[in-house]
Amino acid sequence: MNKIRKNNIIQSIYKYIPVTLLFISVLNEFDFNNLGLIYFSFNFSYILIFYYSLKKSESLGYIYIFIAGLFNDVVVGTPIGLSSLMYLILCGAAAYLRNITLRPNLIKDCIFFLLTILIINSILFTTLNFIFDYELNYFDQVINIVFTFLFYFLFSNLFDFFEYYLVGRNNAG
Amino acid sequence: METSRDDFVIAIRSALLKKGTQQRFSLLGLIFFSITFLILSSLNFKFINYIKIGINEVVYRSSFIVSGPENFIKNNYIKAQNHWNLYEENKKNIDELIYLRGKDLSQKIITLENIKYKKLIDDYFVGDNETVAKVLIDKQSPFLRSIVINKGSKNNIELGMIVLDEGYLVGKVVEVNFFTSRVLLISDINSKIPVSLQPGDIQAIMSGKDKQKGILQYVRDKNLKEINEDMQVLTSGSGGMFKSGIPIGKIYTDQNISINKNKVVNFHRDFDQLKYVKVVSFSKEKNFLDFKSEDDAQKVESKIEESNQQQETLRILLEQKKIADEIRVKIQKENDFLRNERVRLKNKILDQKKINQQNKIQTEEMKFLQMNLYYGHKCKKRALNNLYKVGSAEYRKCVLNKALKEKNE
Repeated sequence: MNKIRKNNIIQSIYKYIPVTLLFISVLNEFDFNNLGLIYFSFNFSYILIFYYSLKKSESLGYIYIFIAGLFNDVVVGTPIGLSSLMYLILCGAAAYLRNITLRPNLIKDCIFFLLTILIINSILFTTLNFIFDYELNYFDQVINIVFTFLFYFLFSNLFDFFEYYLVGRNNAG
Repeated sequence: METSRDDFVIAIRSALLKKGTQQRFSLLGLIFFSITFLILSSLNFKFINYIKIGINEVVYRSSFIVSGPENFIKNNYIKAQNHWNLYEENKKNIDELIYLRGKDLSQKIITLENIKYKKLIDDYFVGDNETVAKVLIDKQSPFLRSIVINKGSKNNIELGMIVLDEGYLVGKVVEVNFFTSRVLLISDINSKIPVSLQPGDIQAIMSGKDKQKGILQYVRDKNLKEINEDMQVLTSGSGGMFKSGIPIGKIYTDQNISINKNKVVNFHRDFDQLKYVKVVSFSKEKNFLDFKSEDDAQKVESKIEESNQQQETLRILLEQKKIADEIRVKIQKENDFLRNERVRLKNKILDQKKINQQNKIQTEEMKFLQMNLYYGHKCKKRALNNLYKVGSAEYRKCVLNKALKEKNE
């Protein structure tokens, strides 16, 4: 009985790890600024949201994603609600892919992810530049997109590993 | 064709409207909600502003706590890096210190003169509000470079106040909450600062480029001649946004090929390592050139005079020291030469003494041989006398005594 209870506690901790990671990433930003690398940055939140919306939609609630977006706006200093919108569009794209996919494939997921982040960043760039009068560095954004796309392979495998071996549910992809 | 469109519509509808397990809101509902949020916040809707301020206060504090481990690693990394670079840095610092000490006094004079002239043209600003703040968040994302400090409207922080780090310009306050404020760094692409390039007094507008660099966007005079030395970038004070003369960065010589292109400004401060900053505002000094300010001007004048005298004394002392050093070196050289000469002569005397000694011995030998011819038979041992054996010391003594006796008689 004790063992079952203990397992349940561990399972619920594992269950909240994606949400915790999402909030840590928006509050802390995994963009490697501290290493002083000029041409390197990636958006960890995009990878996390897309992966979990696609593979385990029940792990990240939309409301958490919405709140994380608000937090991200406050930390980064962009107009409030913008990141939430981007995150939710990403979720929508992931949900659409999940609905039309019969046989999941990492390469297809990645290509769809690339298309989605390209659209999202275009919307972000357009909104910030033309509506809110923020000036953005186009080159920095392209670098961010490229590295986010490349890191999707790595993090996707890491999350698969986490879901398969630690959470123990063999339905991660 | 019709079926495929239906599939697409069904998939979209399912993705956006269907609430999954444990999802309380549909995606479409939340998207509309965030768009509403965005529109209302852009219209400065009061209710949204209150929510925003509330979230700001919570998020800034939580972000500070969440960033704890990262900051710990970052600080340790910087510490270790500093430790490795300590020796080289120390050597460099010593050289720099010697150089700067020399410059210090001249700078004081220039500052005083500057104050005097600024007072004359009524452009002298004094700091009227100064607050030291701690950096809570320094998340300089690739898109926006800003920091959040732990002082807000409660501590009289106002929009547009200047933020300095050890006298160097860091940015300006762009958002004020009750306990916290956001500072837009000068490295941000959105910050446009009127600057002045020295030497040459070239006016320009600087914008942020990346973490440690800015870029000159608009240079007033397009046909400037080339300046082949490092250029200091200071705030020009144009537009009244910043006080003039706050140092920002440097343009290195090799970049000064032609000033009318986009030039890179290397900032003096490292914005990744900001811990405490000073938030200041400046205002014009109240008193103009009335009787009181004339007294002040006289005071400044006398200070300049005093400093000039000090500098003159220092210059003379330095000159004297230089001469004394030269003399000391000269005397030391002479001393070395004389010491060598003394050793050489000493050796020569010793050689001469040896030769003399040998000569003396030879002369005595010659004298003895000569005396031996005359008196040898009187001292030589034979069968019938009890004299000395030839070659012995007694024989030699006897021969010499006989010669001496003969000489005396």
